[in-house]
Amino acid sequence: MAVELNGTIAEVLREEPLVIKNLKTWHHSHSYGGWGRFFKGLREGRLLATRCTNPRCAEKRLWLPPRCECPDCWHPMEWVDAPTVGRIYTHTTVLYPGALFRAAAPCPLISVEMDGVCTKLMSYLKEGTPRIGLPIRAVFNRERPTNTILDLAWVPHA
Amino acid sequence: MIRLAPGNLRIPRFERPVYVVAGGLTDYRKQYPEKNTCQLCTEALRMAVEENDLKVDPEEFRRSVNWCVYSQFADHFGDQLLAAAKVHDYLGFDPLGNIEVKTGGATGGSAVLAAAQAVASGYASCVPVVGWERMDEVSTKVGNSYIASAACKDFESELGWMYASYYALMAQRYQYENRVPRETLARIACKNHLYACYSPYSQNPGRYTIDDVLKNDLVSDPLSFLECCAMSVGAAVLILADEETAFRMTDQPVRLTAICGGTHTLRTADRRNMPILLLPNETEETYRDYFHGRRDEWPGFSSFLAARMAAYLAYHMAGIRDPVEDFDLLETHDAFTISDIQTYEDIGLRPYGQGRDFIDSGDAYFEGRLPTNLSGGLIGTMHAVGATGIFQLAEVLWQLQGKWDKFHADPARWARYGKRKPDDFRSLQVKNARRGCAISHAGTGSHVTVSIMERT
Repeated sequence: MAVELNGTIAEVLREEPLVIKNLKTWHHSHSYGGWGRFFKGLREGRLLATRCTNPRCAEKRLWLPPRCECPDCWHPMEWVDAPTVGRIYTHTTVLYPGALFRAAAPCPLISVEMDGVCTKLMSYLKEGTPRIGLPIRAVFNRERPTNTILDLAWVPHA
Repeated sequence: MIRLAPGNLRIPRFERPVYVVAGGLTDYRKQYPEKNTCQLCTEALRMAVEENDLKVDPEEFRRSVNWCVYSQFADHFGDQLLAAAKVHDYLGFDPLGNIEVKTGGATGGSAVLAAAQAVASGYASCVPVVGWERMDEVSTKVGNSYIASAACKDFESELGWMYASYYALMAQRYQYENRVPRETLARIACKNHLYACYSPYSQNPGRYTIDDVLKNDLVSDPLSFLECCAMSVGAAVLILADEETAFRMTDQPVRLTAICGGTHTLRTADRRNMPILLLPNETEETYRDYFHGRRDEWPGFSSFLAARMAAYLAYHMAGIRDPVEDFDLLETHDAFTISDIQTYEDIGLRPYGQGRDFIDSGDAYFEGRLPTNLSGGLIGTMHAVGATGIFQLAEVLWQLQGKWDKFHADPARWARYGKRKPDDFRSLQVKNARRGCAISHAGTGSHVTVSIMERT
């Protein structure tokens, strides 16, 4: 039996030492699992968080990013609408993003502090200049959703 | 709020003493196509076995090994699953058992922890810990995306695909609360780039002025390029042994008196506050005025609970009362200048909010009270991630053995890496160093190990 190579050749990038080009072009099918509800919510202009349903659990505040199970007691959590206004807890402007970034640099990242939420969600400021304490409100990318966390952004809130 | 119970704060202990007998390194480069990963690991192991004045020859060493621990951060950088099996085979250790450890940037520290657990429990008596990273198969931009895969891919990575930015968020908050002058931060970068000038292994040596750092381009405000760690290729090895084996192999074994780990959420976003966990050199009084008396607004984004937890356990395990007094040298995980200041506070070199004084006072410098990152650290010398925590401990080992000059000052060693020893070279051997500490750190503080080594 004769074995033929299929004609695809690895490009030589350097002769000494011998360096070849290995191509990686496939995709991953990534499921959000139970968190998909959050990302579908963004398409509808809703910011969904979760709250523990265990009456004995001490943490009564909302989790955002949401969790389907509570880290303090492992009980199921319920989905509720989160506040869509908050304050900038901290910020930075990304000047040199990594290769997979879908937006243009510079991009101001922010951590958002919201009343009644026990976490400080990472997001980005779509308009304006970030400063700690700045009141902001959520805006949603509903036209051509990326179905990622980038569909949520914030703008200054008068 | 996080609640810790006494069972959660049990102080770890070893069932029998654990010793470090040898260390080995490669040099560290941004690109290292001349040697493949297996070759780099072999080079570091040979250096450990053949150049550490061991009383046993390489053949007898091989006959003594009974367990191996491997340390690599990211399979997708190396593009080789089960790379540890390939390295283990290449080093000729089959069919001995091995384990590969992965905890992000703290992988090296965690690998040494796993080896120490094996020796301390009696499971093994002679364990090489071999770590490496191969970060040069992809461009820097793709490399940054790979590193950002170690943030939460569902809720964070998409926001920039850039880890420096996730640190910068913490840095900006730290600055809001503590207002450290940019000059103080620049001093850390200048110090570590300078110490890297005295290391034949270093990737980013440089004699920079504070002004150079202040005028340097920003990666993500407030962090400039010169304030960020290297992206490296290279390997490091540490050899751990029980007491009988250690003294059979060397006249100068160094005792690993403690190595402990702590963690906190991968997403900085999910960090809830708790009352400050006090170290042995702190009291309630230390923080009477901290945050206007609101002591439970900790760790916020300004502190690493993982580092504080690991230090709490390690200090109690090794009987450390005051780290600045009790340690003679320190290696921190200086991934970024501000995270270094945050760490000074987490491990109790200064109370929270006063970390800058550790630099401004001169304590952190060679011949200061606690010289820090004389190796050049991650900013000056290397961050070949899986090798980093092991590299730190090899440098501490040689300091405690009084062998810093042997491993840094010989012109032949510089020539081995195609370098020339600088004319203004100076020895950074700490006089009569007795006890050293190293911090290995992952994520934005997702895993931290604190290791304490003591001369016998």
